[in-house]
Amino acid sequence: MARKPLTIIEAINEALDQELGRDERVFILGEDIGLSGGVFKVTAGLLDKYGEDRVLDTPLAEGIIIASAIGCAMMGLRPVPEIQFSDFITPAMDQLIQQAAKLHYRSAGGYSCAFTTRICCGGGGGTGLYHSQENAAWFAHEPGIKVVMPSTPYDAKGLLLASIRDSSPVLFFEHKRLYRSIKGEVPEGDYTVPIGKAAIRREGSDLTIISYGFMVTVALEAAETMAQRGIEAEVIDLRTLSPLDKETILESVRKTNKVLIVHEDKKTMGMGAEIAAIVTEEAFDDLDGPVMRVTGPDIPAMPFSPNLEKYFLVNPEKVVAAIEQLAAY
Amino acid sequence: MATRNQPAVTQPKASRVAYSRELLLGLYRSLMKCRMSDEKARILFKQAKFRGNFYSNVGQEATEVGAAYSLRDDDWIAPSHRDWTSNIIKGAPLKLCFAQLFAKDTSPDRGRSSPAHMGYPELKVITPASSIAGQLNVGTGVALGIKKLHKDSVVVAFFGDGATSIGGFHEALNFAGVQRLPIVYVCLNNLWAESVPIRLQTALKNLSDRAKAYGFPGVSLDGNDVLAVYDAASQAIVRARSGEGPTLLECKTYRWYGHSEIDDGKYRISDEVEAWKKQDPILKFEKYLTEKKILTEDLKKQVAAETTAEIDEAVAFAEESPFPQSEDAALHVWS
Repeated sequence: MARKPLTIIEAINEALDQELGRDERVFILGEDIGLSGGVFKVTAGLLDKYGEDRVLDTPLAEGIIIASAIGCAMMGLRPVPEIQFSDFITPAMDQLIQQAAKLHYRSAGGYSCAFTTRICCGGGGGTGLYHSQENAAWFAHEPGIKVVMPSTPYDAKGLLLASIRDSSPVLFFEHKRLYRSIKGEVPEGDYTVPIGKAAIRREGSDLTIISYGFMVTVALEAAETMAQRGIEAEVIDLRTLSPLDKETILESVRKTNKVLIVHEDKKTMGMGAEIAAIVTEEAFDDLDGPVMRVTGPDIPAMPFSPNLEKYFLVNPEKVVAAIEQLAAY
Repeated sequence: MATRNQPAVTQPKASRVAYSRELLLGLYRSLMKCRMSDEKARILFKQAKFRGNFYSNVGQEATEVGAAYSLRDDDWIAPSHRDWTSNIIKGAPLKLCFAQLFAKDTSPDRGRSSPAHMGYPELKVITPASSIAGQLNVGTGVALGIKKLHKDSVVVAFFGDGATSIGGFHEALNFAGVQRLPIVYVCLNNLWAESVPIRLQTALKNLSDRAKAYGFPGVSLDGNDVLAVYDAASQAIVRARSGEGPTLLECKTYRWYGHSEIDDGKYRISDEVEAWKKQDPILKFEKYLTEKKILTEDLKKQVAAETTAEIDEAVAFAEESPFPQSEDAALHVWS
């Protein structure tokens, strides 16, 4: 019997609840996650159910939040720390990049730290310069840590469970604009979605749109608009930014011969740049047009005033314009 | 016993505790092993037997040995770049310590880290990064794990005066104080952070004062008195094991040589260096042991000879060990 569809918040809450119940090594920690249940209520109810031993409200200090996770993971526990907003991940950079990403490597496998960091990212709801950043690409540049960003409730639960059970550190990005805006079927029981595997959200043969996070919904909307004009786009939801699912990407490129990458993050040195390089290196003969990108602009961050925010945001209209350009080749 | 805001105690009296002959000689052997290994490393570097750099700990042995000597196998050390010898004290085989210097495939990290950045997972010495105070954070995280698993092991974290300035120091100690974690923070205040003198590093005279800000005891002591350090560390370790929380030990000491082997240290005046060399922790301890009739000239020579032989064997092992294969650089990225 099908139960009602869940939001991504509900899906993540369920994943954490079930994993806390299933695996006594798991505990969650972060700012405001316990007594308050998280600023988006993602961890609501967990402190009451599992107690302070499993749900820890930490001091305001991202560095030691991550370091606590590293150290506890070294002791064989499975911590799931939270970074409240991706804009505040920067105080934790030394711990993430110099410690977590490199501990296993620099000790030649002698030490490892398996933990999943949940991070709320992205903008578009008037959240301003420091509550809107989508900076997952920074971390996709760091071998030693995995980077994932689901776009559906089904994937949110399954990918989070896979991440918590992975033996390497994982950064699990949650786009805040997806939290409550979509609902989907989520199995009540235990399941995982594999890390490193993209999903085809829409099949098509005229071009391939590659996207992730909230932008997947934008890409799908643009694809529907273009379908009215007889252009069928294939939409790939990366789900994992690192390690990238090259196989799914290249197979689609071989089929459609045109690639458009869509991401909310700023253009230069973003995920689009990497995917464009891969496609050009490994599927050059299959391309009938340039690899194009629709992205955020190269300005420091998403500004607050509505018109300024609009300048930054990728919307279906911007994607449609790019598809039209690419289709003309 | 302890409240959260116990006042700082200075100069714990070493005479309060009775030291067995076995302990005293054990401390002495450890001091000599550290000193002679460190000096040997310096010679090898000068002879271009290994490349990179080396961060000597000569002059600071009493702090390292005093703090780490009594640790169990399941206790942890969180070292910095200057604590290569902490691996020796913990019990890592000397030949692996020298293989580390030579970056050979037989070293614990198979040649990945630079010479002095040694860890030893088998005995829980955490392989350090170069980020200052990084080890304080990871060590504090381990201490949280120990507490959550209801173990009674402890973490001893080593760092210098410079490390007390960086943000990570604050975050680690603050969290350890709030959570009453089983960790002992051992600050080797040698008055210089590379070439920056203490007067430009902090307004404090005693770095142990910082502990007050985190709600746990801070103690300043003579870091060149191995028994004073041993005594203070023992108390701090007992505190930690019994769930009473962290301690900050400020051990006042001095490094004889520059910041590293490629730093001449000429920013320090020679009078200061010479005055501290007269406070040689090993000479001080030898005098004490001689007065107690525990150390004779013969025993001194014997210890030196045995240590030399052990070091020579370790160096030979390191020299004969193979380097890692080039492609091995791609291994161990993922767990």
